[in-house]
Amino acid sequence: MFSYYLKLSFINFKRSPSLYALVLLTLSVGIGLVCANFALISVMSGDPIPEKSDRLIHVSMNTWATETPHEEPLHILRYRDAMHIEKADMVKSTVTFFASGIYVRDSESESLARINASVRATTAGFFDLTNAPFAYGTGFTENTGKVLVIGDELNQQLFGGGNNVGKVLELAGELFTIVGILEPWHLRPLFYHATENMAFNNTDDIFAPLETAIDLNWAVHARSSASDSVRTLDESRDKNYFYLQSWVELHKASDRKFLQQYLDNYSQSLKDAGEHPLDIRNELHDVNEWLLKQEVVDERVLAFSIATGLFLVVCIFNASSLLLSRFHAAKFEVGLRRAVGASKSQILTQGLIESSLLGVVASVVAIGLSGLFLIFSTEMLPNLANLAVLNGETLIAGVILSIVTANLASLYSIYRANRYTISAELK
Amino acid sequence: MLVMNNISRIYCGESIQTHALRDFSLTVEQGEFVAVTGPSGSGKSTFLNVAGLLDTFDQGSYELDGVGVDGMNDNQISRLRNEKIGFIFQNYNLIPDYSIFDNVDMPLRYRGLSAKERKQRVENALEKVGLAARMDYLPSQLSGGQQQRVAIARALAGEPKILLADEPTGNLDSLMARQVMELLHKLNQEGTTIIMVTHDPDQAREVSRNVQIIDGQITDSKIYAPVAEMPTQEVANV
Repeated sequence: MFSYYLKLSFINFKRSPSLYALVLLTLSVGIGLVCANFALISVMSGDPIPEKSDRLIHVSMNTWATETPHEEPLHILRYRDAMHIEKADMVKSTVTFFASGIYVRDSESESLARINASVRATTAGFFDLTNAPFAYGTGFTENTGKVLVIGDELNQQLFGGGNNVGKVLELAGELFTIVGILEPWHLRPLFYHATENMAFNNTDDIFAPLETAIDLNWAVHARSSASDSVRTLDESRDKNYFYLQSWVELHKASDRKFLQQYLDNYSQSLKDAGEHPLDIRNELHDVNEWLLKQEVVDERVLAFSIATGLFLVVCIFNASSLLLSRFHAAKFEVGLRRAVGASKSQILTQGLIESSLLGVVASVVAIGLSGLFLIFSTEMLPNLANLAVLNGETLIAGVILSIVTANLASLYSIYRANRYTISAELK
Repeated sequence: MLVMNNISRIYCGESIQTHALRDFSLTVEQGEFVAVTGPSGSGKSTFLNVAGLLDTFDQGSYELDGVGVDGMNDNQISRLRNEKIGFIFQNYNLIPDYSIFDNVDMPLRYRGLSAKERKQRVENALEKVGLAARMDYLPSQLSGGQQQRVAIARALAGEPKILLADEPTGNLDSLMARQVMELLHKLNQEGTTIIMVTHDPDQAREVSRNVQIIDGQITDSKIYAPVAEMPTQEVANV
């Protein structure tokens, strides 16, 4: 019977092509908008490192050295607090970093043109902790030295790609040797730097040793705060200058309490020494907790989701009313089929198969429209460029939503068709 | 074959009730050809709809081929309708964009038969009505008489126990009407039970029994012959 119902569906489409095209377009626009929005939200709210997101912990501390504490423990740490975390022995690995930026060129290039590159000045643990994918070479192993790792995009820009490990780059007058080159690496969200509206930035172009960056006084391109006067970054190690972020990888998620105790003991010792007067308040967040706390899913996007949902409901009602006129016109055929022996459930099944087929076709159009909506969004809001991706999950959701929506739109008309008195249309 | 006892069918309007059938009792034996006559609004069509399970009844009992229909659910009634009853309508009720084959095939689709068996049955039914050569035509390519014969073939394809015909010649000229009636008599002579609603007194006299309905009740019943004695002849393509 399934093939017969399919055949009847195609015959019905052929009978009223313009009406079905209108229904298709109505549903596709609504579904397309919802899918585009879903694509944004699913990326924004996704887990960027699911294999260990529950073991990667961001550290916030409350060691501000004056009587006027911040409302929340600071997500940025001073150098000596961060270094104390680096020494923790109950953890698998740690990373301390700050974001910077610098102009860079190939030291062997004849051109003096420089590229503005984003920099992560970091301890060596960064690459293992974040599962950074290497195409060539490895990460650096010390926090000092004139070495660096570059991202794929910068490798393409400087050298046109390929293995360029060993080549030397000039960064603000200093020469650095490339020891590693990453594969194309997309982290959505950029969990390791989800603050300062950077959650959907690209991964960095350059990864350089932390101590070297501090010694060279590279600028801090993120939030910093100080209760001491700090003129240059190399003075910061002993000062109350808060600018470093710290992440820890635990052996297992349950080790979190040991880390908490370690940090609380440290804060208490500082307080006992008179270095800060505040309550002991250190906060730990795993990756997903941290992204939630940072509200990386923009409230405007959530509001837009509600609007697109309501718009889809309007589309369903419109499609439903169009389909009602179609079924009204088909009363005679429904009556005839019932008269020759079709049951209500068979008429219902036929209607649902027709709707599902309509839904499948609508999903193709809707996904095309979603792509257009996302391109349009990117044109209007360039910071969405990294998010505007229709992944497999969204495509599957789009097809399912289309089929469900098409069936919802036709349910009432199928119900009405089944309620007609059989003999009323037959003479 | 068909036993109705004290059937009542009441249509409720906003302010009035209409008794379309009241205490209606009728028994039709296997192989009978019964003509149902009566003035407009007398309840002929309601009787045919109830008999064909297209409509329900409010009181009484109804047995079709030994099966009581009271209390059956929609699936059971639909199956009974599909297997035991063939309908012939005044307006033929063919689907205009389906081929003759697909129109005749329609009831068989709901019976779960194999494609081979359906094809065989459709061809046999069209053979019986003399239209086997036109199974790929559309209804619009046939005359009124031929369309009604396609409708008869559709009713026959399911090999029903009983044919219910509602003014089957009402839209045909006299020549075509004659040929359709000859076909119905031929089918009756081959053993098919037929109940036909008609306004034509001549047609009513040609059959084995004429039942007259007025105000939802049988007022007269004339038996003309145990089996219709119509002359049989080949059905010509009209």
